[in-house]
Amino acid sequence: MAIMEILQVKQLSFAYPDEQHQVLNDITFTVHAGDFVVLCGASGCGKTTLLRQLKPELTPVGQIGGTVYYNGSLLNELPAHQSAQEIGMVFQNPDNSIVMDLVWHELSFGMENLGYSLPVMRSRLAEIAQFFGLEPLLYKPIHELSGGQKQLLNLASVLLLQPKVLLLDEPTSQLDPVAAREFISMVYRLNREFSTTVIISEHRLEEVIPLADQMILLEKGKLKYSGSPREVSEQIQQNNLDHTQLLHNLSDDFKYLPSVTQLFWTMQTQSTNKDQRIPLTVREGKQWLQTFQWNHDREVNSVIIHLLTSLSDVEAIKPSLAKEKIVLECREVTFQYEKKSAEVLKKLDLQIYKGEMLAILGGNGAGKSTLLQLLAGLLQPRRGKVKLADHIKIGYLAQNPLLYFSHDTVAEELSTAAHYAGVTEPEVVIAKLMKQLQLEGLEQKHPHDISGGQQQKTALAIVLLLNPDILLLDEPTKGLDPLAKIALAQQLLDLREAGHTIVIVTHDVEFAASYSSRCAMLFDGMITATDVPSTFFSENVFYTTAVNRVVRDWLPGILTAEEVLKLWHAPDSG
Amino acid sequence: MNSGFRALHPVTLFLFYGGLLLCGMLLFHPVFLVTGIVLLVSLIIMQKHAGTIVKMLPLYLLIGIAIVVINPLISHRGRYILFYFMDQPITLESVLYGVTMLLSLTLILLTSLSYNYNVTTDKFMYLFARLVPQSALVVMMALRFVPLLRRRLTQITLVQRTRGISVHEGSLTKRMKDGMTLVKVLLVWSLEEALQSADSMKARGYGTTKRTAYVVHRMDRRDRWLTACLSVLIIMIMIGGALGWGRAVIYPRMQSMVFSMQDWILYVCFGIYLLIPLIVEGKEWLSWKYSK
Repeated sequence: MAIMEILQVKQLSFAYPDEQHQVLNDITFTVHAGDFVVLCGASGCGKTTLLRQLKPELTPVGQIGGTVYYNGSLLNELPAHQSAQEIGMVFQNPDNSIVMDLVWHELSFGMENLGYSLPVMRSRLAEIAQFFGLEPLLYKPIHELSGGQKQLLNLASVLLLQPKVLLLDEPTSQLDPVAAREFISMVYRLNREFSTTVIISEHRLEEVIPLADQMILLEKGKLKYSGSPREVSEQIQQNNLDHTQLLHNLSDDFKYLPSVTQLFWTMQTQSTNKDQRIPLTVREGKQWLQTFQWNHDREVNSVIIHLLTSLSDVEAIKPSLAKEKIVLECREVTFQYEKKSAEVLKKLDLQIYKGEMLAILGGNGAGKSTLLQLLAGLLQPRRGKVKLADHIKIGYLAQNPLLYFSHDTVAEELSTAAHYAGVTEPEVVIAKLMKQLQLEGLEQKHPHDISGGQQQKTALAIVLLLNPDILLLDEPTKGLDPLAKIALAQQLLDLREAGHTIVIVTHDVEFAASYSSRCAMLFDGMITATDVPSTFFSENVFYTTAVNRVVRDWLPGILTAEEVLKLWHAPDSG
Repeated sequence: MNSGFRALHPVTLFLFYGGLLLCGMLLFHPVFLVTGIVLLVSLIIMQKHAGTIVKMLPLYLLIGIAIVVINPLISHRGRYILFYFMDQPITLESVLYGVTMLLSLTLILLTSLSYNYNVTTDKFMYLFARLVPQSALVVMMALRFVPLLRRRLTQITLVQRTRGISVHEGSLTKRMKDGMTLVKVLLVWSLEEALQSADSMKARGYGTTKRTAYVVHRMDRRDRWLTACLSVLIIMIMIGGALGWGRAVIYPRMQSMVFSMQDWILYVCFGIYLLIPLIVEGKEWLSWKYSK
């Protein structure tokens, strides 16, 4: 007996009016009832547009080709009230999708719209509030909730209409990792326990892909791969055989797979068992490594030798850092927002050396952003001192790039910024910056119309026009897709090369592990540990990369698939 | 948090404060007003938000003194002249009138303090929503924007300061220009996000059928009872007030302050009216005290 096909997308294409460019191009796939589908791809590849094609109320105006069937009949013939109930949508930014000011009112909003009677509303609300644990929050103003709570509220408010299909458009991109994990596990629970069909577009693939029944990878509006995660992973491997044989770098498509899976393909050798199940999670990765032939003398020896040399590199870095000039320093900095509120930072000491890339990690609400604003001089410590070396300028990039934009085009934005910064020869400097940050071609676009990554780079350009010696970045990887993250990292490394000192605060363990030169942990208002990434993370059990969690028993200081790649194949060449 | 008088149905609460406001204006008699003030202050103390009185005390004293002093200076009506101030006769009537006016104002002020504590915005919105659902929806959405925009503006100000755009430094023209920039950032950003809010409303079926309203407040027997009592009392006070009872005759010539029979009736009504919240609070207090 075949499982019911709840959505059938046939040769769907879409272009905005008066534009030649096809945002979606010949897309065909089928979703069965109860499926958990993950949609991935770089920003701007058409994920959001595709999701909007599946929700008739939100389909943008344009030329649509192809058809979408819902439960066997045409989707755009579905009555409005039925579509509102049966197809639920959760958006990217939790703040923007909220319309009411109290929790209970936001929850009842959808039901009121559809004219439910009071007893129905009461019983449904009771049910959902319990399921989500929202009962203690019912009478609270929504702005007092955390981002994670807000997003759960959005989800709950959609679920009150008892949808059959749930569309989620990058729902966790604005959340911290803990809240994101909680949100995703809630969606997964809905999928398992109520067999709600889920179509989710995501950048946090590490957590979502192992849950998926089907994975769809879009590239420039076209469907590039689709199938179960393992199938897609094999397709990518097949497609990139030439690239992996080069062995210098994993190709872009691999970046959409969990890092354990990347590791698996990296360590593919002739001796690997062909029947080996492709690992998707840390647990599967560890099981796979246990069956791996580690006692392959030559390889193990070379790995160990290599490891030792890389560790001694680490030792060599430490003293050289100490000799470096301190450009910015916190001395016993204590800070609290209000007289009666708790201390956010307590006698915090931190040194920032010239030319380093320091990543400050810490949990949610640990005071990372506050610390960065103190470093930037935007806040004044209650006690203690933030000491800046002479003739050093600071540039601060806030988490939200929209805070910087006040003009109609990117070009205007930058020229005004240059004017304020007092740049001589603004045209030359701006042209150079735009080239460096790959912003060319966006000059005449409205800053609100470009992608999140591009907005961030534009804001970064505005900050760089001030020609700062130290760059402070607040959560620069938030909401970026894996490729945009790599591009950002490359630009930060280039800036570092050019002599800038960079400090980032981030939740993103993988990013800090891969690109920073030093990591610091902020906990309980103090810096509890600082070290180079390999030492810093290898001592942590939870707060470390997925690859490290897999390989730590064999290769303790290794954090990323790239490092394993280097270790693995270096002996052959040398 | 939500217990005692505060837990009554919004309609009952709204009726109580509406009636009280009417009394404050209608019953222009020092004895009535002082009674009202004493009972209302007791309620405020019982509900433990006396801090709000302390907070507005300085402003209140300023206005109060001004009224008491200014009225005799500009009004010379009345028969009994107390003394002359800069050749102006100061009459007993005008002094007394000033004091009564002050008492009336005090009662109204205390009413509004107690109202703000007991009838919170969401309760008011609930009442409002039943009368005009569509406009109430718009108002509720707008209400959300006030703190939201304020928080956003703080963020924008902080960030823009790093690039020299600030309303705190520079020449007046620069400050004005920068202020405009800050507001522009806020508006562009907020309008952009409002489009997304509109999508979120559409996605949840806004405008597909006639809206119903979810109701969190339920009128119980006590609410109905008290609403009835309050209504009867208000009607009696209004009738009495219209007949001129409970009103001290000060101008043109002060009459005796002694109560007539009719005044007594009105006074009892007014007393009961104000005792109702105290009784509700008191019962609550006793039930807690003896439940331990």
